[in-house]
Amino acid sequence: MSKNWLAQNTFHYSQFQDIERLVRIKEQKKLTISLCLPTLNEEKTIGKEILIMRSELMQRAPLIDEIVVVDSGSSDRTLEIARNYGAETYEAINIFPDLENYMGKGENLWKALYITKGDIIVYLDADIKNIHHRFAYGLIGPLLMDRQIKYTKAFYDRPISTGKKKMRPTGGGRVTELVIRPLFSLFFPELTQIIQPLSGEYAGFRDLFQQISFPIGYGVETSMILDIYDKWGLDVIAQVDLEKRVHRNQSTKALGRMAFVILKTFFNRLEQLGMIDIKRDLYNEMIRVRLL
Amino acid sequence: MEQYLKNLPAVFRAIKSLKEIIITNVVLMGQIPAATFHEKNRREAFLKRLATFQVDECSTDDYNNPIGIIRGTSDRKPPIFLVAHLDTIFDSDIDHNYTVKKNTIQGVGILDNSVSIGVLLSLPAILNALELRFESDIVLAGVIQSIGRGNLRGIRHLLKTWLTPIRGAVCIEGAELGRLDYYSNGMVRGEIDCRVPITGIRSDFSRPNAILMLNEAINQILQLRLPQKPIANIIFGKISGGFKHGKDAYDASLGFEIQSDSDTMVKSLFRNIKDIVDGLNHENDVEMTIKTISNTGASRLKFNHPLVQSAAAIMKKLDLEPVSQHSESELSIFLSRRIPAITLGVTRGQNYHLKNSKMLIKPMFKGIAQIIGVLTAIDNGVCDE
Repeated sequence: MSKNWLAQNTFHYSQFQDIERLVRIKEQKKLTISLCLPTLNEEKTIGKEILIMRSELMQRAPLIDEIVVVDSGSSDRTLEIARNYGAETYEAINIFPDLENYMGKGENLWKALYITKGDIIVYLDADIKNIHHRFAYGLIGPLLMDRQIKYTKAFYDRPISTGKKKMRPTGGGRVTELVIRPLFSLFFPELTQIIQPLSGEYAGFRDLFQQISFPIGYGVETSMILDIYDKWGLDVIAQVDLEKRVHRNQSTKALGRMAFVILKTFFNRLEQLGMIDIKRDLYNEMIRVRLL
Repeated sequence: MEQYLKNLPAVFRAIKSLKEIIITNVVLMGQIPAATFHEKNRREAFLKRLATFQVDECSTDDYNNPIGIIRGTSDRKPPIFLVAHLDTIFDSDIDHNYTVKKNTIQGVGILDNSVSIGVLLSLPAILNALELRFESDIVLAGVIQSIGRGNLRGIRHLLKTWLTPIRGAVCIEGAELGRLDYYSNGMVRGEIDCRVPITGIRSDFSRPNAILMLNEAINQILQLRLPQKPIANIIFGKISGGFKHGKDAYDASLGFEIQSDSDTMVKSLFRNIKDIVDGLNHENDVEMTIKTISNTGASRLKFNHPLVQSAAAIMKKLDLEPVSQHSESELSIFLSRRIPAITLGVTRGQNYHLKNSKMLIKPMFKGIAQIIGVLTAIDNGVCDE
């Protein structure tokens, strides 16, 4: 296991808060940067996310060149609000309309590759309640300042919103601790150094994203890490401490569904890599028995 | 001044072109909890962010009020102050994250007073976009420890230690747009606490009830005859007490405020209330105390003061109907020091002091135009008589 990775490839966003310097490096390297926000019914948070990014990283300092929203069919006013605050908006169903239509975050991220123009693509979840432009520049920083790094991943404290407008200071990360970390420990011990492998905020070079596959749903973060690790090794990956990210608290049931999809993705990858041999087809759906 | 009013359409365009920056400032400041006496994080963020807008000087005074100065073209004209209080009534365990929609921003403290703080922060960028320079220095002050028990300590200290004359001041409050306050009543804000001593075993029937004792105090205060002149008012604003439905209350607390345009009347009414409290304390087996939380003196500008008249004219030009009320806020401290000052509202909204407080975005642009208009008027000399 690489002993230096954790020390050398773990950053804090404040190391990159000189945004004008990042802009200079970006211009010297003649790079363009796209910010992509995959959405599904995010009217409460999308406006704030777009306007803060536009204000701080487009108007005040031209670090980002475009903000693109790819929507999975929101029934609320997500797209209207996103357009109002100046984002380019796309419905995933209208990108490659001839292809079979799948709904899911991974599908949106993959389709975004075809509508964004940037050399670097930053993917941020659109439900970040305490959005701040550090979420973008923190992830962009290592990509611009370290030649070796091609992919950056966020980690943070995770206070959760417990309803009634109250906050609980710690919590979350249950799927990571109960599913991902045990699996990484068993099969890819080096990857346990990634503190929050399921975080929905990451950035990377287009070249890299174009050479990996994107599962449709929740498994996209796991498969991305496994594929990048398999093709280029751990040294192209960096992780950035973004300090605090407030997110919605998810029910155990919802986390169970997430864990199921991630496990499926994981076993598929293990089989592809020849690390395990599954003797029969895996069942395709999560079974839940309801007691009356 | 006439030139500014003629240019209003261009002013609007310039302000609207900075919409994202202004809203971002409002949101980033408002999302940092800043209950009175706990403003440190917001204060530091305000100062740090102000520095990124190329303000000429950025610092705190020795009371930790964050201040930015936009240098004027003349070193002989006294500075103009633009002030908004940084603190809120909400504790840090409440979710401070805001929701921005097409026409609104919602979240705790948005109208009192995050929108004003955001506007204050945005002003250097707006003035820059408008290519507006003033003769006077413009002092942008986000003052701490203002509301409630803060008792306007931040602004009191800032003005007490400011060594040079001040030309005039504008205090900014989130709501409502159209507000033009130019006078402050004398005010004492007080609290009556009642505690029932817990000593030995006593029957529930013989133990006094703190809530009922406060009720008696309220009844006696209501019997005070208030004069028609000077105008006087006693407001019961807060009450709390007890711990369980089926138990007599051991403690209770009443928050009240006495307001009058005569400081003598305020003092007289406070003495009357204190007599009531002393009497109840003496006659019953309770510990009832009265204390002052904050106070301001009565002070005002006349309606025909050029600052008030200019502000009213600017508002009318913007199709706003000026509405004036007494304001016991930063305004009263400026006026008590004979510094011409007014309070203006920035925008419109709902649920002013509730957790789901909501502001309208569009009227804010008019609110900002009005503030810049008044700054221009002060710089043109309306406070110099």
